[in-house]
Amino acid sequence: MLEARRWPAKLVLQIVATILVLPFLFPLVAMVEESLSGTGWNNYATVLAIPELPVFFRNSLIIAVVVIAVVYVCTMTAAFAFSKLQFRAKEFFFWLLLAALTLPEVVILAPLFATATSLGFYNTFIAVILPLAALQIPFTVLLARNFVDGIPNELIDASKVDGAGTWQGFRYVVWPLTMPIGAAIVVLTLIGTWNDYLLPLVFLQDPSLQTVTLVPSFFVGEFNNDQTKVVAAAVVTAIPEIVAYLLLQRLFERGLSAGALK
Amino acid sequence: MATVSTLPRAATLSNRRSGALHGKRAANFLWLLPALAVSVALIYYCVGYTIYISLLNWDGVSPDSTFVGLQNYARMLADPVFWGSLQHTVEFFVGTFVGQALLGFVFAVLLHSKIRFAALYKVLVFVPVVIAPAAMAPIFRVMFTPTGQVNQFLEAIGLGALRQPWLGQESTALPIIMGIAIWSGTGIAFILYYAAIGQIEPEIIEAARLDGAGNIRIVRSIIWPNLRGTTIAIAMLTAIGSLKLFDIPQLVTVGGPNYATEFLGTMIYRQAVPLNTVGYASALSVTLLVLAVAAAILLRFTGRERGARRA
Repeated sequence: MLEARRWPAKLVLQIVATILVLPFLFPLVAMVEESLSGTGWNNYATVLAIPELPVFFRNSLIIAVVVIAVVYVCTMTAAFAFSKLQFRAKEFFFWLLLAALTLPEVVILAPLFATATSLGFYNTFIAVILPLAALQIPFTVLLARNFVDGIPNELIDASKVDGAGTWQGFRYVVWPLTMPIGAAIVVLTLIGTWNDYLLPLVFLQDPSLQTVTLVPSFFVGEFNNDQTKVVAAAVVTAIPEIVAYLLLQRLFERGLSAGALK
Repeated sequence: MATVSTLPRAATLSNRRSGALHGKRAANFLWLLPALAVSVALIYYCVGYTIYISLLNWDGVSPDSTFVGLQNYARMLADPVFWGSLQHTVEFFVGTFVGQALLGFVFAVLLHSKIRFAALYKVLVFVPVVIAPAAMAPIFRVMFTPTGQVNQFLEAIGLGALRQPWLGQESTALPIIMGIAIWSGTGIAFILYYAAIGQIEPEIIEAARLDGAGNIRIVRSIIWPNLRGTTIAIAMLTAIGSLKLFDIPQLVTVGGPNYATEFLGTMIYRQAVPLNTVGYASALSVTLLVLAVAAAILLRFTGRERGARRA
């Protein structure tokens, strides 16, 4: 966009960009440095030797996979219904969903807690999975409905002429065209679920059920506030996310910025 | 959307009114059931329940609760911590919006300008978006201590006079929390601006350049005005982010020192979980809910004219 034909101007742009980007690097460098201070790589050896560590990752993975599956199925069917089917009070239901679009999870904490304890869901994955999915769906439905609206109705008409019913219209006409928004929804839900802190904090008390976002607090207890090891544990939990992002850059950027593209 | 635009033109022009599947309407409704059961049912049940609890004096576990009417709300209005957290939310919104929009815009323009290492810079700005606040919190707690990396750095560049306990004093704790949020949110603003700038037709900029417009003039008179929709979207995102804020202040400062970084999210958590005053927490929740729905309505109306085509 900006044009810098001569080298001094080019250099100035380069320097400005570099100075601005350094603060973004600083905490990451400080994090690695801190995790290696004191006993150096032994911090990592100690952290990785904790038998619970793989369990945290496994739990986060289970929760993320189930939430993604639930959100994906609910979102695609609802988006198809809102966009391509006729039924009574359609827009009313759409507004019911939309009203929940910005609901912070902390708002439903008390009733969730009371309900989960009385139904025996406290300290189970369900107490985390259901609210996470419930809070994600209004937004993903909005995204997906907008996308499905862009698929011409004539495609479905053509399939009806060929004798296809509603299910075939969804399965063979609409659904195959939703892959781009589907991928964005999967990534968006994955990040939201994997990074969620409040619900696991409140509902998963048993260490064998806890998730990666609780690892740093777990290690605060485990290592008597030895910050270097706590930070090493945090690095270990952040690495998979950074690797996943580097591998799937475009998908991550599209999914996470979908929030403003509605 | 490329798949759709390659359709034969005749097909898209014919037969406007048809399209939607009529069939049996009751059967059509079944397609909505999964989303209604998981999302609408759970959310509205919880919201109704929250409103009910907000009228009680209840610790959340014991079977006894007393109906106290609007007492929890009266307590809220008289609670300086509540007003403080509202004020922090507004300050946090203004600070993070200006910070993220400005930095995101500058990065987007710079990285569109044939800079070296642009791919690397882009990754560095976006990585913070991906990492969980919970994973970053330990290092932020360490970094800003009196002997932490920030003070060491200031010392090293000759600004040792600025050393201070950043998170330990009321005057700097909130700005640091905002800085952390800007650090982790700028990537989104950057990606949005970057994509939007890519949509501006290069011919317009070329024409302006031929007319003698310099770089600054082009940024001010062509690029920035063209990104108005994106800026509004970022404002809405930060507004909702400010209302939802919980992880960063809870994990980095626990709302302190002396409630200087208390937000509605951390306040509700404190009242509901450690303090067991669930009735009061619910009154605060209902208030937050009203604010969030108001933000959603605003989002819907402001965002409407901006198409959904780009999703």
